[in-house]
Amino acid sequence: MILQKRLMICASAMAVMAGTAMPAAAAPWVRGYVVGQYEYAFRYGGRPDYTRGAEIEPGVDCPHGSSIHFANGEQTKIAVARQKFRTQQEIDWISAPPGLDQVRAPVLTRFHIWNRAVAYRAYKRGIETYVNPWAADDPGQPQVTSRIGDGFNLDGKVKAADFVSPDGEKGIDNNLYRAWGCDAPWRGNGNATLDLRANDKMQEGLYTMVIRVSGNKDPMNDDDATFEIGYSPDKIVKDARGGIAVDYSYRILTTAQYTKMKAKIKNGVVETEQVERMHTPRIAWFYDQTGDTNFAKGKVRLNMSADGLSASGLLGGYRDWRELYTENTFAQDGGQQGIREHEDHVSLYFALRRNADGMYNAKTAKYDGISSVYRIKAASAYVVNPENPKMEVPKLLLDEERKQAFEAIKANTIRGAETRIPQPVPPGTTEAAVGSFEHDIVDLPNKEFYIKTLDRPHYANEDKDGIPPWMRRRRGTSAPVPATPPAAQPAKPQNQVSIEKPTEVASAETK
Amino acid sequence: MKRSIGMVFGVAAFCALSSSSFAADPPAPAPAPGAQASAAPAPATPVADAPMVPPAKPGVFTATKKGATGYHLVVAGHKFTSRDDIEKYLAWRAADLTMADKGTWFTFTQARTAADKVPAPKRDPAAPRHSFKMANFQPVWRYKTKGAADWKSWSPYTGAAFFADGIKAEDITDFEASADIVVRKGVMDDADPLGYEAGAVSDLLINQVSPPV
Repeated sequence: MILQKRLMICASAMAVMAGTAMPAAAAPWVRGYVVGQYEYAFRYGGRPDYTRGAEIEPGVDCPHGSSIHFANGEQTKIAVARQKFRTQQEIDWISAPPGLDQVRAPVLTRFHIWNRAVAYRAYKRGIETYVNPWAADDPGQPQVTSRIGDGFNLDGKVKAADFVSPDGEKGIDNNLYRAWGCDAPWRGNGNATLDLRANDKMQEGLYTMVIRVSGNKDPMNDDDATFEIGYSPDKIVKDARGGIAVDYSYRILTTAQYTKMKAKIKNGVVETEQVERMHTPRIAWFYDQTGDTNFAKGKVRLNMSADGLSASGLLGGYRDWRELYTENTFAQDGGQQGIREHEDHVSLYFALRRNADGMYNAKTAKYDGISSVYRIKAASAYVVNPENPKMEVPKLLLDEERKQAFEAIKANTIRGAETRIPQPVPPGTTEAAVGSFEHDIVDLPNKEFYIKTLDRPHYANEDKDGIPPWMRRRRGTSAPVPATPPAAQPAKPQNQVSIEKPTEVASAETK
Repeated sequence: MKRSIGMVFGVAAFCALSSSSFAADPPAPAPAPGAQASAAPAPATPVADAPMVPPAKPGVFTATKKGATGYHLVVAGHKFTSRDDIEKYLAWRAADLTMADKGTWFTFTQARTAADKVPAPKRDPAAPRHSFKMANFQPVWRYKTKGAADWKSWSPYTGAAFFADGIKAEDITDFEASADIVVRKGVMDDADPLGYEAGAVSDLLINQVSPPV
């Protein structure tokens, strides 16, 4: 019976390819995809070849271009001059450290001085800013002013400030785009630095996201389809040109980061129902950030190509804005990413907060969520269930210590924002360039000034140079401490399966 | 045409070889109970050592209704500490009052006159947006000094130095800082240079302020 259905689908496919019109057959069908590109659905409105003075690619999305926080000494001076506790000498020597020409790594030395300084911008000394952004002045963030935006009408309303989709749909909710769409590392024409970084890491095996669409009618038109999205423990297979290889097999885990939804398909466009909670892998470029998006009121729209080889679309809903903040800030540390990427997480915190528009919390009378839409591009794949249906998302043993530190700093940040009690930086992080600063400043003539003047978190068991134990381990100057072994590891990971080898699955099904 | 025929045969061969390809996968097992509906982050719980601004003594803070949603706010005292201290306390009271009125943000109305020399902040939708710009929260002041019978006033918009800059703090016997605000609901207009998100202002200032005496 199954074989018969299969032959019918093959016959349909051949008819389409031969250019013959045949009525679509009603038969069970499945299409699988592996996501090869995954990024915020930010609509770029600039021109890559155009700058105006200090503005980077001004455009209809961002009239003055991308953010330029910490882009040079002047910008850093503006940031550190806001703290009334700083002396003029401090401000001058942070923004332009004297004696840099005498050190071995001048750029890196300045980088770490800035990192340490910008990590302490609260209303008084000693309060770390990235853990406690609410305790700092709002530096301001360029925001998207365009009316055109990708996404969904998540709340069913058409409000004055909503975006209009490129194809004219009104009421589009995508306030993450409004808040962060001009932020330098997320803005670009396919070349936004953190988009590239996150996609590169995903394609190189940090995590894999897969989609499975199934139904009983025509894959291009089915009003009773099923849509599944989730994590795969199998690394993405690339082709010889570095693209995503098509038609490899990937397991989909149904234990976490997984959602199954009803969907309707019209002319190849899959539109899912809107579910209370939608779980998918989230954008990450370090293991510590990986996890569940946990969208509220989530939904997906996927445009499948007729040949079944590719798909592209949007997934969105409301995300807890404090989680978005911590995921973007603490992959490494706030100062490091901010200076490198010309973004200021304090500005981003306030931008998220004031643009929050969903997940209303009656207890606090505030919105906990911000409408957020992600863009995906996917290649055809075979999405199969794992042998063990209870298989969990695998853990990376060597990165578990760092992930625990990430979870701890995330918890402290949220606790601080809720209680308004300044929270400390937990052990295990590199906040305020702890370790790196001490390492790179050794040749600087005025190093004592910076060591005495600039705040930093302190920890138990620091060495005489102030290097905490985890930094010594990461630098290889002390013995590694094995992390706690994760539970529920598969005994023997399965490998990807190429379609060129008819598999046991096929023979088993024809029995 | 030749190409189409080739493709048809290709597809046929492909179907024959990989007869699993178009078959429906076995249905996925139901997700774990927590997978479809994990709880939203826990709401804030009362904290024993939560920050709290000490209550003001009678007469220190007054809020007089001005129009449907406006207020004239005054902070008064006798022991002058610093301009920053008093103005921050006034800003915190403005935020607190806004939230008590179920507002989400407020606008500060600058008390300007035709003679003022300091330029007013201009709205620029293309400029960076803010939840607050504390530098633009500029109350006007009145004060009395030792032995003086009459109040004197000082406005930040005249360009004159702050009145207390040339006076010993102990010589200031009475002072008042006042501000007009309008409480607003809904989405904040973050392009307004005189707009203040009440929650964000409160968060920033709650650990910094106390009422003057």
